[in-house]
Amino acid sequence: MINSILRFGLIFILLILLQVLLFNNIQFSGYVNPYVYILFILLLPIELPSWLLLLLSFATGLIIDFFTGSPGMHTSATVLAGFVRPYVLRIVSPKDGYESGSDPSMLIYGFRWFFSYALLMVLVHHTALFYLEVFRFTDFFRTMLRVLLSTLFSMTFILLIEFYRRGK
Amino acid sequence: MRNLLNFLARYSNLIIFLILEGIAFYLLSTGNSYHNSRLVNGVRGITRGIEEKINHTRSYLSLRFINETLAAENVTLRNTIAKLARRENSLFFSVNDSVNKQQYLHTSAEVIENSINRQKNFFTINKGESQGIKVDMAVISENSVAGVIVGCSKNYSVVMSLLNFNFKLSARIKSNGYFGSLSWDGRDYRYAVLSEIPQHVLVNVGDTIETTGYSAIFPEGAMVGTVSDYEKFGGDFYKITVLVATDFKKLHFVDVIGNMKKTEQLELEKLFQ
Repeated sequence: MINSILRFGLIFILLILLQVLLFNNIQFSGYVNPYVYILFILLLPIELPSWLLLLLSFATGLIIDFFTGSPGMHTSATVLAGFVRPYVLRIVSPKDGYESGSDPSMLIYGFRWFFSYALLMVLVHHTALFYLEVFRFTDFFRTMLRVLLSTLFSMTFILLIEFYRRGK
Repeated sequence: MRNLLNFLARYSNLIIFLILEGIAFYLLSTGNSYHNSRLVNGVRGITRGIEEKINHTRSYLSLRFINETLAAENVTLRNTIAKLARRENSLFFSVNDSVNKQQYLHTSAEVIENSINRQKNFFTINKGESQGIKVDMAVISENSVAGVIVGCSKNYSVVMSLLNFNFKLSARIKSNGYFGSLSWDGRDYRYAVLSEIPQHVLVNVGDTIETTGYSAIFPEGAMVGTVSDYEKFGGDFYKITVLVATDFKKLHFVDVIGNMKKTEQLELEKLFQ
């Protein structure tokens, strides 16, 4: 128990630092900004109670907001992602269900499962985030392009990190 | 009562979700005017220390480039002094008061946090109220428009970048003096849009766009950019795409410009409105 709290605390700090120090400084042509911190929400244990998941999402979003100076934006997108996670897990659930007490990682459930799980989650998060940022529906398709391109980049980095974790 | 408890237990997650989203949206709505949000300002004090460190590291990498621009700026400044010294002789003031001759006060500052990829971009500079910075002062970088101060703390200020939906600037075509309104359409960080220029005006690709000074924020004649494209928009006006002179991607040192005669101008204008 204590062990896993420590482990997730470490992942949490690492991802936030990675996001703030590295990924927030990557800005391709005004369209693309990878948001990799969402990986923290992806990796939390499957059996984590929903209220705790929501609170953790809230905290994650709030911290990112304070670093990017966009109060509320990342918070609401991440809370939404935390809220839909149980439903996404149900949609992508493997044939013989989840093992009890396991983490939703690539190591246990394989690449294809993790890819669809991460893609759905990242899409939900990014869609909420970018439409909240613009806060209007003019330029609807341009915002959608931003969502898709950023999803592509976030997914690339998330998969890289997961491959690295698996490799170890 | 039992029904109520059952209901709460059943939908507890939804309720927590709605409460948390409520808080987030509250932050979103109050925080977008940015400097109004006390909470954000308080916590940003902590994150700023880290941002300053990141910026410190980054500034080492571009020292050579910064030296070059500073040297170039020195040359232009020396030229201006020489020109002004000549002109001084032919100018006269009814009262010999050297204070009256200076209208704009420059303060240099360093950008410690910047973004270009959002729709409402802000950046933070390392000077604040203690250094005489106030809200509504102009921010320029190498003589071209960068933004307007929207919030100050003791030692830091937040600047609304030109790359912000809400940024509006009165700008004119240098060659013929017709003025319009410049804003950013959120597409590309290199281009802004100048509207309200009537179609009978002669516009050429490459024309210089500069500030008018009507708003009493920006000094007159500060560079904005050059015309890169124009098309007819509606019946009467052009929609002119302007290549912005400031490179927001490597914004580092900026000048904050305070108009010392601003209150005088605004009060006079108020009398006639």
